[in-house]
Amino acid sequence: MSAGSLYFKCPDNLTAKKFLKKLAKIVTLEIVAQEYMCKTFYDSFDSLLYTHNMICEFNHSQKQSNMCLIDRKLGHMIATEMVEDMPRFVGQCAEGRIKKLLVSSLAMRAIIPLCHLPLTVYRLNILNKDQKIVLRLQLDAYDDLNHYVRVLPLKGYDKAAEKMLSVLQAQWHFKPAKSTALDDALKSMNQAPQSYSSKFQLKLTPDTPANEACLHIYLYLLKVINKNESGVIEDIDTEFLHDFRVAVRRTRAGLNQLKNVLPDNELAQYAEFFAWLGQITSTTRDLDVYLLSYQDYKLILPAEMQADLEPFYTLLKQKQIIAQDSLVEHLTSDYYQDSLANWQKYLNSSVRKAIKTDMGGLTVKELADKRIWKMLKRVLSEGAAINHDSPAEALHDLRKTAKKLRYLMEFFASLYTPSDIKLLIKSLKQLQKVLGDFQDYEIQEISLKQFKKELKDNQATENTLLAMEKLVTHLEHQRGLAREKFADRFNLFQKIEHQAQFQLLFAPAQKVKS
Amino acid sequence: MTIIASYNIKGGVGKTATAVNLAHIASQKNHFKVLVWDLDPQGATSYYFRIKPKVKGGSKAFISGTRALDGLIKATDYENLDLLPADFSFRNLDLALDGHKKPTQRLKKLLAPLKKEYDLIILDCPPNISLLSEAIFEASDMLLSPMIPTTLSLRTLEQLKKYLKDNKLNHLTLLPFFSMVDRRKKMHNEIMRDITDIYPDTLKSVIPYASDVERMGWERQPLGAYMGRGRSIDAYRNLWNEVWLAMNA
Repeated sequence: MSAGSLYFKCPDNLTAKKFLKKLAKIVTLEIVAQEYMCKTFYDSFDSLLYTHNMICEFNHSQKQSNMCLIDRKLGHMIATEMVEDMPRFVGQCAEGRIKKLLVSSLAMRAIIPLCHLPLTVYRLNILNKDQKIVLRLQLDAYDDLNHYVRVLPLKGYDKAAEKMLSVLQAQWHFKPAKSTALDDALKSMNQAPQSYSSKFQLKLTPDTPANEACLHIYLYLLKVINKNESGVIEDIDTEFLHDFRVAVRRTRAGLNQLKNVLPDNELAQYAEFFAWLGQITSTTRDLDVYLLSYQDYKLILPAEMQADLEPFYTLLKQKQIIAQDSLVEHLTSDYYQDSLANWQKYLNSSVRKAIKTDMGGLTVKELADKRIWKMLKRVLSEGAAINHDSPAEALHDLRKTAKKLRYLMEFFASLYTPSDIKLLIKSLKQLQKVLGDFQDYEIQEISLKQFKKELKDNQATENTLLAMEKLVTHLEHQRGLAREKFADRFNLFQKIEHQAQFQLLFAPAQKVKS
Repeated sequence: MTIIASYNIKGGVGKTATAVNLAHIASQKNHFKVLVWDLDPQGATSYYFRIKPKVKGGSKAFISGTRALDGLIKATDYENLDLLPADFSFRNLDLALDGHKKPTQRLKKLLAPLKKEYDLIILDCPPNISLLSEAIFEASDMLLSPMIPTTLSLRTLEQLKKYLKDNKLNHLTLLPFFSMVDRRKKMHNEIMRDITDIYPDTLKSVIPYASDVERMGWERQPLGAYMGRGRSIDAYRNLWNEVWLAMNA
């Protein structure tokens, strides 16, 4: 059977009744099932399944309900499973092909409903003269959209499929489906998949005035905050708060690193607000991270000790619920809502008027070169000053500086050749990884000791305290390993090729010479 | 992937009904991807599945390797269950094999590429002991052997056991079981007891002589496709459970 489309969109005016009547005139047709059902499409908030060319359906009828994964490009079914309800997270799926496919695409993101479509599904068999099935068809007759026909060839009966495809295309003028019912439904609701990405993707032009570009950066970040806000409040999945916090941190980095581009006195109150926002979201995020790491914590322990860790999970869960309640209280407070509304108002009104400040006269490219170059030099000097005996604080300070550099490079990435900037961001990321690990292990160590104390106060068993102690020892060891890796990673980051590339891209004096 | 041969030297003992029904149960109950190969030129298995007993190029084409087996497979009406149909030329399969190097290894080699696609392959074998049977024994992991409880059955089973031993076919698990049993007949009951005493590894499941099974020819479907419950289908389900346990032993 030659490869070609097996999925067709029916013409606008074709009803199921007409289609079946036409079909019965040319073949021996058996209607195996005619089922009225509701199809609900699911994806993550950031359309991860769509990005991976998959469509996730939950089909619910009076008789049964199932979960299907469809290949978005080819229209064929990849996997199906009988389920009573849709799982909210991949971890809740039964072991099998669907879980395997979803794990790699969704990770910790929740699967949320996008739209519901009522339809009648007709399952049809085409029979030969021995009453043997030689081809199967499925007609999805939607109440409010065009119908779709799926041709399902059977092994060894290619001729029957070819004949049907020829009838559908050449005689009945059916067109191979270029979109899916999901696309049609989203279009009818004026929505589009993939309209959100957690990556910073603002396109700037080099000669834009610096102050104007900064306003656009802040507006972009504000949009991300707004988009994630309801997900944080409803606690749909942990990524909403993650992305929310990243946008807050980026805004804070902008406010601190891009001084004198906008009037500092006007920004002061907002800097204070975003610092508060960072602070009130941190406890919930930390607890989310501990809960996400719980399975990994368990695996650190020998099998016979793993169950002893359960009181730790219960403690984390209780704390997370309390922290989440408090977070919701903050995010629904007048202070939060007024401050965010004022920030939006300030940014929008500033876009419309010309602002003059010391740095505001620069173009965004000049500002980017200047700031990135300065921050890079700081990273290099702080890093070079670290030796084997340096205190942990020195590495923590370098981590913060490297993060500031990273945010600046991401803000202004669109001003440079993509391959050049990507390479430098990649090398910076590798340095950040080792610094981040070192910091994370230390913070986890401190927190786990604190959790252990709380568990002891709550009368936890000796076995649980022993399991916690084992985790602390493991984290201590890991921190030591991360510390040992630092020198090599930093040497890689400051290697001559990277230096040359950094200089070529950002150093103003060098560019004049070249 | 497991290859099971439904085999007996004698004819008319229920080999085809066993192959068809176990394939259907394994594909529907365990969701195994199953292939049945109808090696009997009479083509009864193909008939039960309403598939023409015809293979492009006949037996010579696939034995010589000019046609891969995969291209000859037909989907049945049942999910996860495919058939390699019979062909009248299979009456000369012995000759076709004989003309090939290492004839007893040939079927094994031909089936090797299908291992990835199928969880279970069932060979419905013609009733004789020949070069084809030797090739079947080499290719299979299990020999599922139905026997009617008659005085000759014990002799046939002994012959088969001896043949497997003499030819050092140690990889092959022999699974004999009683088929077409009429519990009203004293002789059936006595012979079953005697054989089970001598060969305790005889499977416990007993397939009754029943009109339900005979109806398969009229319905042209496996038993499970036209009846949900009943003595015969339950017997085949029990038999499959025992085979499945042996596969996982």
